[in-house]
Amino acid sequence: MMTVAAPTTQKSEKFIVPIGPQHPALKEPGHFEFAVDGEIVTDATVRLGYVHRGIEKGTESRNWAQNLYLLERICGICSHTHAFAYVLGVEQLAEVEAPPRARAIRMVVAELERVHSHFLWLGVGAHEAGFDTLFMYSWRDRETVMDLLESLTGNRVNYSACVLGGVKFDINGEQTKGILEGLDFLEKRTHHYLNVIQQDALFLQRTRGVGVMTQQQARQLGVVGPTARASGVARDLRIDAPGQHYNDFNVNMILETDGDLAARFVVRIRDLFESYRIIREILSNMPEGDLVVKRMPRKIKAGETISRVEAPRGEAFYYIKSNGSEMPERIKVRTPTLCNMASVLTLTVGQHLADVPMILVGIDPCFSCNDRSVTVTQPSGQREHWTWEQVRRFGIEYYQRQGGQ
Amino acid sequence: MRIGMMLGDVLRALWQRPVTEKYPFERREAPTRLRGKLRWDPEKCTGCGLCGKECPSNAVEVITIDKKNKRFVMRYHMDRCTYCAQCVQNCRFDCIEMSHEDWELAAANKESFTVFYGKDEELDAFLDAVSASDLAETAVS
Repeated sequence: MMTVAAPTTQKSEKFIVPIGPQHPALKEPGHFEFAVDGEIVTDATVRLGYVHRGIEKGTESRNWAQNLYLLERICGICSHTHAFAYVLGVEQLAEVEAPPRARAIRMVVAELERVHSHFLWLGVGAHEAGFDTLFMYSWRDRETVMDLLESLTGNRVNYSACVLGGVKFDINGEQTKGILEGLDFLEKRTHHYLNVIQQDALFLQRTRGVGVMTQQQARQLGVVGPTARASGVARDLRIDAPGQHYNDFNVNMILETDGDLAARFVVRIRDLFESYRIIREILSNMPEGDLVVKRMPRKIKAGETISRVEAPRGEAFYYIKSNGSEMPERIKVRTPTLCNMASVLTLTVGQHLADVPMILVGIDPCFSCNDRSVTVTQPSGQREHWTWEQVRRFGIEYYQRQGGQ
Repeated sequence: MRIGMMLGDVLRALWQRPVTEKYPFERREAPTRLRGKLRWDPEKCTGCGLCGKECPSNAVEVITIDKKNKRFVMRYHMDRCTYCAQCVQNCRFDCIEMSHEDWELAAANKESFTVFYGKDEELDAFLDAVSASDLAETAVS
């Protein structure tokens, strides 16, 4: 949910460039209004909510195990993160702890997911800069980690690695070998890409000094994940709040201080090296033992809890409330894109309109993750929030008017 | 500061085979853990129904014909299935597995997405009963 008051009325003389919700340059729907003076952006607003799917409400009519798969589908890129945060929360409520081997396997999948997500983002970032060669080759290399994830978990996207109280599968010797070989190849390529983004003159023209966010701004705007770390804010949940998952293994903070787009590229690429190191460390010190706890209750004790996991884009936050039944009473999800979106509005002001797509891509936005509630703008310009019942009724009446069922 | 830093990759790629596979003309073997079409073994099933109870998309139904003599039929909705393998995880008797060979499941008609599993004689009896009741319903409406 995020609505910022429109900067202008029709009487104003500002020139406003609307972008989206359907726009060829946006891969997902979001609506932006940029007020421009010539080519310079003077004001920016965003309206989100076009891919609201009612997932949080949906969780209230499904049991604890079914919700795992529903929540996993919030995001197609960081699907494991959502499952991971959810199972951690439910396990806290049920007062069970996943066996050490299961925790290690969850972490391996989480880090492999980070690798694929950062490679994906590198490609998208390069594409927005018009550097399609980098886009194509980084996505070619990303297939290596996608294949690893597929052979490890059984699917390329929604891995379904977690179950309540453990994981579904083990990592055997052959898979360990495959992962290590894959990582060696990716590491070599990552060195090359780091050189390219740090040295390619034409690419640096699009990134160096563009969208600079100072450390103070980053703190004020409350940005998370690599976006914060590129501005020198040491914020990484793997280190700040390791909780049940990162206790056993040491993670180093990757920080850059420049705060511009180039720093956001560098911080994510350096994050990849850290992920490779973590995966290798876990695989060489894999704890022995069971994959699932002996007894996971179907009814979860009444109570409420929060759980947080460092997604590739930053902090994924889960609030879970149970009333002691087979279904949750309330689940609230906050994804990192929502935290980072405010920075786009601030950073685009004073920049060229042509740099806007790059600044937006710089936070690695994921729209469908963060769309949670519907704000309705009446023709009079008045904005109001709708309740679930109102949205439902509107949907039914809309389709009745269309002559549907 | 340099320019054309990806040029080396492009030139090298000229002498390499394309990475893209020409599916469906070239087929790569699917990994053994791939979650494809569900398979059910009626011999081991005790009819506890835990597979259906936690299925996120209600794709699995175990239909009891005769509980005493352990006669069950499974109706599996391939189109609803999200291929998460929670049913495989829940089954304590190892009678459900997901095939890594059957994964090209597209079809032009909807009927072929509903699959029945079971021993032959039970399946025949069950399907006869289902089609009879279907006919009765059509007659009423």
